[in-house]
Amino acid sequence: MKMAKALWTGFMESAERFPERPAVFAEGRTLSYRELQGLATRIAATIQAYPEFSRVPLTAVFGYRSPTAFAGVLGALLAGNGYVPLNRTFPTERTEVMFERSECRSIIVDSGSLPQLRKLLDRADQPLLVILPDEPEARAFREQWPRHTFIGLGDLDSPASWREPTATPDAIAYLLFTSGSTGIPKGVMVAHRNVTSYIDYMVDRYEITERDRLSQMFDLTFDLSVFDMFMAWERGAYVCCPSQKTLINPGKFVRDMDLTIWFSVPSTVAFMRQLGMLKPRQYESLRLSLFCGEPLPISSATAWLEAAPNSVLENLYGPTELTISCTLYQWDRFRSPEESDLEIVPIGYPHPGMNVLVTDHNLNEVAPGEEGELLMNGPQMSPGYWRDPEKTAAAFVVPPGKSDVYYRTGDRVRRPTENRPLTHLGRTDFQIKVLGHRVELGEIEAVVRKVAGLDGVIAVGWPVTVSGAGGIEVFIEGEVKEKDALRGAVGAALPEYMVPKRFHCMNRLPRNVNNKFDRKAMLKLLEEGV
Amino acid sequence: MSVVRPPDVRLFLTDYLMRKLAGDGRALTGDLADDCDLLLSGIIDSLGLLDLVGAISQHFGRELTFDEIDPEQMTIVGPLCRFVAEQLSRY
Repeated sequence: MKMAKALWTGFMESAERFPERPAVFAEGRTLSYRELQGLATRIAATIQAYPEFSRVPLTAVFGYRSPTAFAGVLGALLAGNGYVPLNRTFPTERTEVMFERSECRSIIVDSGSLPQLRKLLDRADQPLLVILPDEPEARAFREQWPRHTFIGLGDLDSPASWREPTATPDAIAYLLFTSGSTGIPKGVMVAHRNVTSYIDYMVDRYEITERDRLSQMFDLTFDLSVFDMFMAWERGAYVCCPSQKTLINPGKFVRDMDLTIWFSVPSTVAFMRQLGMLKPRQYESLRLSLFCGEPLPISSATAWLEAAPNSVLENLYGPTELTISCTLYQWDRFRSPEESDLEIVPIGYPHPGMNVLVTDHNLNEVAPGEEGELLMNGPQMSPGYWRDPEKTAAAFVVPPGKSDVYYRTGDRVRRPTENRPLTHLGRTDFQIKVLGHRVELGEIEAVVRKVAGLDGVIAVGWPVTVSGAGGIEVFIEGEVKEKDALRGAVGAALPEYMVPKRFHCMNRLPRNVNNKFDRKAMLKLLEEGV
Repeated sequence: MSVVRPPDVRLFLTDYLMRKLAGDGRALTGDLADDCDLLLSGIIDSLGLLDLVGAISQHFGRELTFDEIDPEQMTIVGPLCRFVAEQLSRY
């Protein structure tokens, strides 16, 4: 009988086949498969040695673009737990909410995240297992927080004591938090079977080999990072992670690392164009260029291909709930302009096994050629939101006349005719994309409402761009005496890309005929330069 | 064509950042030191960098190409001013 596959299986096989090949580049140094496997199994063995901290089978990874962060992801998985990425570039308050909601009792922390860890430790209401692979020993931590169990590098268990966990396809491989409308982030559960189904298809499609070098532009809290890591490790390839500062000049990184596969949000292309980093034939090493996370303008695709002429370009689409990406479209300079809508590259065709339904407001399928909301299901569909049956029931639905569950993406698409590709037309609700990040305007409004103590709060994406919005502006009904204090408190609660650029206080906000706040009127005010 | 020197760029940079921060309700405290990292000190973020580059290009009337600068140096005041001055004086 064939053994069930887990997300870690491909990495372990590659580590057997290619122990001395480079597995990951981070913080300016390279770890071979043997080195990465060694550290990851020591972390895993340590987690297994304290089973009382894995009653909820999740381990948090509080690491940012460091070897420890990557070893932590593998360590959590090899212990038989799902991993929950935390991000030190997020406000501590948000990280605390994510950590608490996950109910993790074990956490792996890199040295750069230690300052924020202290706040998590002070707030934790239960004892934690804290693994610090960057600290030679952890005595000082034990003395300061005696109720938690601290493990430094020297205290990690030996790889010999690690036991390979049973691969359970329905177990959570990772839990990722996305923006939620009530102000509380939602935890999307992705099971091993969701992500292994995806990786199996994509490594074959892209013919990944041990000679490939993949970019790692995404933070671990963005699910597209799973593609970079596990596509590479499935086949013995090298995943190359730039530092936070190198992200500003990714072109040099492509050349310095001789990358063969590029994967980023389309905003990065716009950024690189503005900084003069897309000159003809500049990135000849790239054989594959992938984009996902927001609409890809045709102008970005063509500019990129001039700079990376040896590369096949594909546009991927997919919410976290459908595991990384669930449709794709290969750019063709002759055919694609005619197949596009709104000057945006189509999102293409569903991955094998994934089913598409385009519906009206009542979830009835629309006719071919008409617009509607995109619903999908298939092997990549998440089991739902962690500890939140209500939100799961709202987003994972059985449409009329169907017998199985579909995920409502909230994206507007045109139902294809004949063999034409799906085209993306925008969002159906108030979730918008700000520089590739999915943002629920309601979450920002909830925070501002709480801090300002005023009810009339509307957030809008402004300026409007082809991919969503360049930033956020907030309208408040009433008077805020100390805008600086408001800005400070909101900034402490939200990630940078969600923090409003400006607050506009008005005695009365514009309303429509139904007496609802009129977002369009507010956008018009911004257009007029309010 | 006049030569642009690093102090000219710094003068513009200081003025631009003071105006930008004032618009956000913040203030630039003291002089911009040569080793001040605009990104790590929180004065600008990566998007602010784009605005800044656009403003410099507009002010000096020339397109800038940042392809060759070491990313680690790109947001540090001294190296940034020298790089921009060198770029602007190249033609």
